[in-house]
Amino acid sequence: MTTIEVTVNGVNYSREVEDRMLLVNLLRDELGLTGTHIGCDTSQCGCCTVHVDGRAVKSCSMLAAQANGAEIVTIEGMARNGALHPIQQAFTECHGLQCGFCTPGMIMAVAGLLKDNPDPSDEEIVHGLEGNLCRCTGYINIVKAVKRGAELLCGNGDKSSRR
Amino acid sequence: MDHHLLEVAGTHVSRLEDLRLVTGSGRYASDWNLPGQLHACFLRSDRAHARIVSINAGSARKHPGVMRIFTGADAVAAGHTRPMTILTFKGKDGMQARVPARPALAHERVRCVGEPVAMVVAETALIAQDAAGLIEVEYEELPVVIDPEEALAAGAPQLHDSVPGNLPFEFEAGDAAATAAAFARAAHVTRLKLAVTRVAPNPMEPRACLVAYDAREGSYTVHVHVQGVNMMRKQLAAYTGVAEEKIRVVARDVGGAFGQRSLAYPEYCAQMLAAKELGRPVKWVATRSEGFLTDSHGRANFVSGELALDRDGKFLGLRLDWIADMGAYLTPTGPVSHIRNPSTCLTGVYRIPALYGRWRTVLTNTNPVAAYRGAGRPDIAYVIERLVNQAAAEIGVDPAELRRRNFIPPEAFPYKTPTGSIYENADLPGLLEKALKLADWKGFAQRRRQSETAGRLRGIGISTVIENTGAGLFPKDEVAIEVAADGAVTVYSVSHSQGQGHETTFAMIVAEALGIPTERVRLRQGDEDRPLFGNHTGGSRSTVGAGSACHLAAKKLIEQGKTLAALDLGVEPSQVEYANGTFRARDSQRAITLGDLAGAKAFSATAEGSFSSTFPNGCHIAEVEIDPETGVTEIVSYVAVDDCGRVINHAIVEGQMHGGVVQGAGQVFGEHVVYDRNTGQLMTGSFADYTMPRAGLVREIRMEEHPTPSKVSPLGVKGMGESGCTASLAALTNAVIDALRPLGIHHLDMPLTPARVWGAIQAAKSRFVRK
Repeated sequence: MTTIEVTVNGVNYSREVEDRMLLVNLLRDELGLTGTHIGCDTSQCGCCTVHVDGRAVKSCSMLAAQANGAEIVTIEGMARNGALHPIQQAFTECHGLQCGFCTPGMIMAVAGLLKDNPDPSDEEIVHGLEGNLCRCTGYINIVKAVKRGAELLCGNGDKSSRR
Repeated sequence: MDHHLLEVAGTHVSRLEDLRLVTGSGRYASDWNLPGQLHACFLRSDRAHARIVSINAGSARKHPGVMRIFTGADAVAAGHTRPMTILTFKGKDGMQARVPARPALAHERVRCVGEPVAMVVAETALIAQDAAGLIEVEYEELPVVIDPEEALAAGAPQLHDSVPGNLPFEFEAGDAAATAAAFARAAHVTRLKLAVTRVAPNPMEPRACLVAYDAREGSYTVHVHVQGVNMMRKQLAAYTGVAEEKIRVVARDVGGAFGQRSLAYPEYCAQMLAAKELGRPVKWVATRSEGFLTDSHGRANFVSGELALDRDGKFLGLRLDWIADMGAYLTPTGPVSHIRNPSTCLTGVYRIPALYGRWRTVLTNTNPVAAYRGAGRPDIAYVIERLVNQAAAEIGVDPAELRRRNFIPPEAFPYKTPTGSIYENADLPGLLEKALKLADWKGFAQRRRQSETAGRLRGIGISTVIENTGAGLFPKDEVAIEVAADGAVTVYSVSHSQGQGHETTFAMIVAEALGIPTERVRLRQGDEDRPLFGNHTGGSRSTVGAGSACHLAAKKLIEQGKTLAALDLGVEPSQVEYANGTFRARDSQRAITLGDLAGAKAFSATAEGSFSSTFPNGCHIAEVEIDPETGVTEIVSYVAVDDCGRVINHAIVEGQMHGGVVQGAGQVFGEHVVYDRNTGQLMTGSFADYTMPRAGLVREIRMEEHPTPSKVSPLGVKGMGESGCTASLAALTNAVIDALRPLGIHHLDMPLTPARVWGAIQAAKSRFVRK
């Protein structure tokens, strides 16, 4: 067992965890943040993507103990003051989700993608989504949502709003 | 995409469910927890076919935190052994389906890899997992059969004593003699043997279930994924022998389904056993690896097809020999889907006077097969549309022209097919012409030359399809509507979204009927405290069934409201008019709103309706480019013109079509569940080994609607959730074959992976060199 301290969505937590506990299980089972989902056991699907110290990370590929001292943002921490995060807004505007199970991971991954590359090309978007699986949408509207999210993030929300 | 957005809590959203789902506030099956819950882990068979000689759970039982270990003997003692089947019709020569028993935990024998052999229940999931690793099972291996044709052969290993020849059900449709006569006078016969490969549905949410037992009531509460609570409850009851009214199924958000959630799985029934025995709730969350092994698989149909044509290219007859691999046990939906749906649409969109099909369902040492998006409809469409394209190539006629010659003409609807289905309506020539124009069919030859110049092979593929949407397991659909004092309208349905967006579509239907903003309507699906009669979401049936019942319930609410309002307004009910949320006395200024009326008295209405199948149809045209050096195929154009009747929400319909087309593309280009022929081991047991479609596989789908409204529903809608993959399997495969035909390649089976395509090109080139 190890004692760790993490900040999740701005709240500090201290927990004693089993050495083998994954970060995703800490978030879901210990902290009750069930917005982060588990879609596979081989780190391919990306459903569990969160931000650790500002970088998009698959939280199934990291031990909770490794997150000691880290600042973590999950899907629950994206909307602020009652307003959706621009990427959340883009996903709903573009109908980029159906069942919604992959959506939290998608949104967190896209937030990471757009942080690194605020104006990605189609090729860069497709490449950037390689690590996130969706079974419902066929990805076409997800790619649109990434572009729309990029627009909203750079303050061009009205340029082609409500496409 | 041009659609208006709804306003929820000051935010603009496409769908009413979105706000919850994009903020991580959805509640999926694994998100449920109960005080005092225990955790289950299943020890699974690592043999495809074996006798269980002994199970030594001694050290596992002693592992700290383990409560109890259950095995097949416990499942048999409790009578949790009989999965339901919904095969409601008789087979060939009056044959009744032979449905083998399947104890919730394997008893004495295992018949496929992944079958649960023991269940450990412990204080935590990790303890259960650790303890499962301590159980020793001694097996005596039995011969394995994976291939369904081999399973039918004399001398094949037999799976169940109660199913001689591994043949649980045989069925025939059409007229064998008339079809033989049609073939005898044919000028040309086209033949293909086609594999509609086995695939894994893989909804993104792995399976999970939490069962609690109430000893005072003798009742169970089962938190699990559903496509509809009623179908799940009925199956759990049948499987365990527990009365239906003693089972309460609770579900909220469902992370995709595609047919996979339509089953009551053995694990759930084993958990019911444990929850009762141990007196504490028992939770189980599957891993994806367990999902690949044990979530129902889809398709797995192997079909020999023959199409007879006369001198003018008119179709004379179609004959199919259909082998449906069912896996080691029959699922409730597998056999019925792979027989009824293909036989209903056996003639496709064509006037084919003589039809005959023979279906054999076969048991093999593989995971059971059930309905998967389309459930036999994509399979039959694929077979017919591949045959039609092949025939066109063989007789040298443009594939669009061959379709034109053989379409059921618009004036022939309602059309009774030779197998007895009645197609309601369609404008097939209209669909085709619209699709040809949208795809610039005429310009293809030039585009092909351009590709050739660039050293690439270009092909165009067409498919024109029709499908029957599901009539449902229950004979009617009920919907209730309740109005609160603040005017909020709550709609209750059995039909349960797994991503289809019922909360929005049904709200729009009710809002339109009541003349109120959509945002004021909330849908509760499968509310455990508000039981209703009706069907699950499956077979593209929800808007037709539950959606129509929403409309009827809203109309009924208005009529009942008029009677109540009349008392308030002091007039006869006939003098009350309703518009936009307000009842008004015709001759006075007096009025009362829906909310105010509800404030005074409980105000609700329940309506029901029986809705038969609708027949959505469509024409899809795909264009591909293949790099002969790598075998990589790129989808360069995809056009979809569909008739799904009147459309309620265009964005949702477009999204369903995207998802369906890409699911088909996934199967065509990569997905394939593969078992080792000798050992029966699953070779594609993770996302690392199984090629799921990824972003970029289909870049764009250009869509147009070509509606012919249905009279089945008062809304004029037809189902459409499965149309995309029904059409895309054949459109995409035909495009690839078209690209390869100049090399002398006329047939390849899915999946058309770069390796398979490249291999075929290399083989063709070496044939060419030898000549």
